Amino acid sequence: MSTETPISRIRVRYTKGESLRFTGHLDLQRLWERLLRRSGLPIRYTQGYHPRARLNLASALPLGFVSDDERLDFWMDESRPLEEILDQLRCSAPPGLEIQSVRMVDLGEDALQVRMKASEFVVAFYDPQDREVLMRKVNSLLAQEEIQHVRRKKVYDLRPLILNLEVITVPSGDTGLWMRLLAEPGATGRPDDLLEELGYPNTAYLIRRTQLILAEGNECTPP
Amino acid sequence: MPFTHQEHFRQQVERILPTVAKPGRYVGGELNQTVKPWDAVQTHVALVFPDIYDLGQSNLGMALLYDLLNQRADVAAERAFAPWVDMEAAMRTAGIPLFSLENKRPLLDFEIVGVSLPYETLYTNFLNLLDLAGIPLYSEQRTIEHPLVIAGGQAVYNPEPVAPFVDAFAIGEGEEVLLEIVDAHQSWAESTQSRQDLLIRLAGIPGVYVPALVDVTYHPDGTIQSVHPRHPAVNLPVDKRILAKLPPPLSRFLVPNIEVVQERVSVEIMRGCTRGCRFCHAGMVNRPIRERPVPEILAALEAGLDQTGYEEISLLSLSSSDHSEIIALIDGLKSLLTERQVNITLPSLRIESFSEDLMDVLQSLSPGGGFTLAPEAGTERMRNIINKPLSDKELMSTVRSVFEHGWKTLKLYFMIGHPQETLSDVQAIAEVCQAVLQEGRRIAGGRARVHAGVSTFIPKPHTPFQWVPFEDTESIQTKITLLQDALRGSKVKLTWNDPQASLLEAWLSRGDRRLAAVIHRAWENGARFDAWGDQFQIEPWRAAFADSGLDPDFYSFRARDLDETLPWDHINAGVRKAFLVRDYRYSLAGKIRPDCRGQCYACGILSSFDELRLTGPDGGWKCP
Repeated sequence: MSTETPISRIRVRYTKGESLRFTGHLDLQRLWERLLRRSGLPIRYTQGYHPRARLNLASALPLGFVSDDERLDFWMDESRPLEEILDQLRCSAPPGLEIQSVRMVDLGEDALQVRMKASEFVVAFYDPQDREVLMRKVNSLLAQEEIQHVRRKKVYDLRPLILNLEVITVPSGDTGLWMRLLAEPGATGRPDDLLEELGYPNTAYLIRRTQLILAEGNECTPP
Repeated sequence: MPFTHQEHFRQQVERILPTVAKPGRYVGGELNQTVKPWDAVQTHVALVFPDIYDLGQSNLGMALLYDLLNQRADVAAERAFAPWVDMEAAMRTAGIPLFSLENKRPLLDFEIVGVSLPYETLYTNFLNLLDLAGIPLYSEQRTIEHPLVIAGGQAVYNPEPVAPFVDAFAIGEGEEVLLEIVDAHQSWAESTQSRQDLLIRLAGIPGVYVPALVDVTYHPDGTIQSVHPRHPAVNLPVDKRILAKLPPPLSRFLVPNIEVVQERVSVEIMRGCTRGCRFCHAGMVNRPIRERPVPEILAALEAGLDQTGYEEISLLSLSSSDHSEIIALIDGLKSLLTERQVNITLPSLRIESFSEDLMDVLQSLSPGGGFTLAPEAGTERMRNIINKPLSDKELMSTVRSVFEHGWKTLKLYFMIGHPQETLSDVQAIAEVCQAVLQEGRRIAGGRARVHAGVSTFIPKPHTPFQWVPFEDTESIQTKITLLQDALRGSKVKLTWNDPQASLLEAWLSRGDRRLAAVIHRAWENGARFDAWGDQFQIEPWRAAFADSGLDPDFYSFRARDLDETLPWDHINAGVRKAFLVRDYRYSLAGKIRPDCRGQCYACGILSSFDELRLTGPDGGWKCP
């Protein structure tokens, strides 16, 4: 086990699909650790009796969501060409997890979680929605100055966490929602809370996270 | 876009998932799962483990049969587990039947439903799953439209309590017989024969027991009068199936996407045990010993780690330290484990059979963990009665060695309620624990910990104790209280089993076919998840016995006559009744029979499998 400083830090962009919808944040960390172990890359482990792969996920995705844009950093004790890393990760990924891209990141850069600013989501409803009705609901929600929402017996104001909320047409052609919610440390908006305020139970829709928005770093924001 | 029936079904399931706990249990989609196009295979087999995914997915037997069946191009094996109570309620409300994880097909769509029954407390779950699948509970109610329901596993060495619910049992090791059952089903399916004809075909396969073709009659006192075939295809007794030589171990493991109880690469290093502990069902029914060679084990572990990315490996057997090449094996593991930063668990170490060498290596490989020993009883006298001979001196010397090698936590397993046990034998358990803790503190200081896990002895079929009564619940409670009092304030951590849960197991493990009515009634009364401390209730069972007009004490607290026909006598587990009688008499005299690798006691395994032995590897199963 090396006690020296790791020599490279790799940032991965990946998608989380249907078959991993119900794999929660902690389980996803374990899934990633195993993916990295399978890859055979010279990954960095923590010290101790039960060494773990050192990794860092940008933002917890709530249970039941899918995502087009997840990010994670991991560290290696040796450097490898990026194409090789990409290949190895792709070969080792389980069903439902697709590796989009990898890039090298400065070892000294802030943790991904610290740089999180906002997340964007698209909501597709299982049953067809009346566009006008949905518009009215959205407008009246946005008109409120305060939205006192109760989550696990705790009350918080949801309104300042909503940066954008719009009625859209989703790829299937049906009426859905697009939203951008604040996702800073300690102030992260949950789309399911917002949908509850609009009157939809969590059995009525599927949420897809479409984009993470991070503070400027030496990383190009995806198109 | 119009939905097909199957798409509609999937969406129905998808919509209830956000309402239940841990929905990841019900979606499949794991790395290394096998999904075949439904119409591309001839035979669909649903492998069912009647407990939740978290437990069932960790079961090595299931994993093995899944892999074996899916290797066949003409077969698709898919998995199904018991939904937890919340999911069951949601499924029943929405009218969703039990479905497989791979193609999300209702179990009624399968030709064969294979149920794993490793322990008796799964029986009500088994019925619940049949019901949830829409499959009639009783074999006699099923028609050609229904799947064939087969069952196997350690519990079915006494198949009788669940006999009316199962079309055919696979007795013994399933690797070969399951494939033969599939073959028989395929050739039957191509014919135009009746379901009864299928059962007759199956009864002709060695190791297959078809209870509908066997009649049981009873004496007025409830004991069995006779067991006889109803068809010439049936041969009684049904001999268990065993493999002469173990095939290379499984290395393709599914990697769950949610946390389950065991997440590691498990390799069975040896099957069977020669120690002959008289209480031990597994030690009697899994004979003879068959070891896997070290290179095969290492290759499977390596391949398993490559395919899963797991951070832990486990070597399974009934008595790991008895593997004749255990040191070479552990040595061979060293480099694999350090290179890959992997931990190891090695359960089932015999106290007297492992050397300082083994301890050295184990400590270096797994420095953080605890160490487990199973003396099973507190006095030498008692240990001789149960044929787990070990002197107090040997025990303490091993304990000393464990602490000296650097372990801080020692877990000791004991049983109470052994035949002929007195309160002073139980008192001695507390004394041993205290002496062990004292020794631990002397060597390891204040960080030494001792846990005592105390379970209740349950007389099991096919063992030398199959005739003895289960100890009554009050005496068990007295013994537990005695241990609690004796260890109060001593810093020895004590855990024990619920005596009521043990009582249920005692009823079921030596039950006869009439008990099926009790199981059915208990399920109707709401019994399920009986293996779960927080779900199990004794009342539905007591009520079920009352409703069925059967006396529960007849099954638990009655001493059987040595010449009584026992409900499982027509199942040959390889160990002869005459051997068991002799061994039981030895126990009454406090006489031991040491490891049979040194001296053969003619248990019957060699006479049962004479010809098979010749096809096995050199060394003939370690039998002298």
